[in-house]
Amino acid sequence: MSATTSVVERLRARIGVAAPPTEATVEAGHLRRFAEAIGDDNPRWKTEAPPTFLVALAPASLHLAEAEEYGKGWLNGGNRFEYFEPVKVGDRVTATGKVADVYEKTGASGSLLFIIFETEYVNQHGRMVARLRGTAIRR
Amino acid sequence: MNLTAGQELPELMKHPTTRQLVQYAGAQGDFYEIHYDQAYAQGVGLPGVILHGLLKAAFLGQLVTDWLGDRGTLKAFEVSYRGIDVPGRPYRCRGRVTMVEGDRVELEVWGEDPDGQRTTLGSATVEMKK
Repeated sequence: MSATTSVVERLRARIGVAAPPTEATVEAGHLRRFAEAIGDDNPRWKTEAPPTFLVALAPASLHLAEAEEYGKGWLNGGNRFEYFEPVKVGDRVTATGKVADVYEKTGASGSLLFIIFETEYVNQHGRMVARLRGTAIRR
Repeated sequence: MNLTAGQELPELMKHPTTRQLVQYAGAQGDFYEIHYDQAYAQGVGLPGVILHGLLKAAFLGQLVTDWLGDRGTLKAFEVSYRGIDVPGRPYRCRGRVTMVEGDRVELEVWGEDPDGQRTTLGSATVEMKK
């Protein structure tokens, strides 16, 4: 038990620390492959990002190797997107992610570790286009 | 069109396949093995490969944008994954208007498996054009 407690403690120490930003350009070919993969043939997505595309542009969660010492697998608990500006083909988007919260819950089927990620996406004009909150679960 | 609380969105049926999971893994860049490697998925206690939560979110996003068209703008979209879904089983996306306040419309959206279980619950906020 002390081993898993220390994983939680080590992860909690990362709350609020922003990861190095990653930058990516919205490419027409990537938009097309993404729209094909989700099976959405709306012609609008030839030039504009569909609602969940930003997760494909830059990692929506940080890779936390130490979290993998806890449990045996990852589950996605949920995602929340807030949109401020449209994202268009050719836009250069900078994503900055951080761990917003880490907590453990014990239920009937055992213990779960919850890691809440927050990512902010800013375009080449310095305007925030979207914010994403995601809940990753180790079980 | 006059929007009122209780109105249902036209439903969207999706027929996910393992091929689509691989396609999605590549398009998103999420190569977690539970979405394409049966033995790996079973090794972590799953019945087999399962749909990416974010693929189900994309399905529900399409439900909303198909319904909305160019009548307004999506401002917020939230999904909570409550159950797993596997390829080969149809995934039914549904939604309804829960609140209309001026230009702001709140929607409830959800995804159902063929047994009628709501495996994904969500909500969306849209701002209608004046």
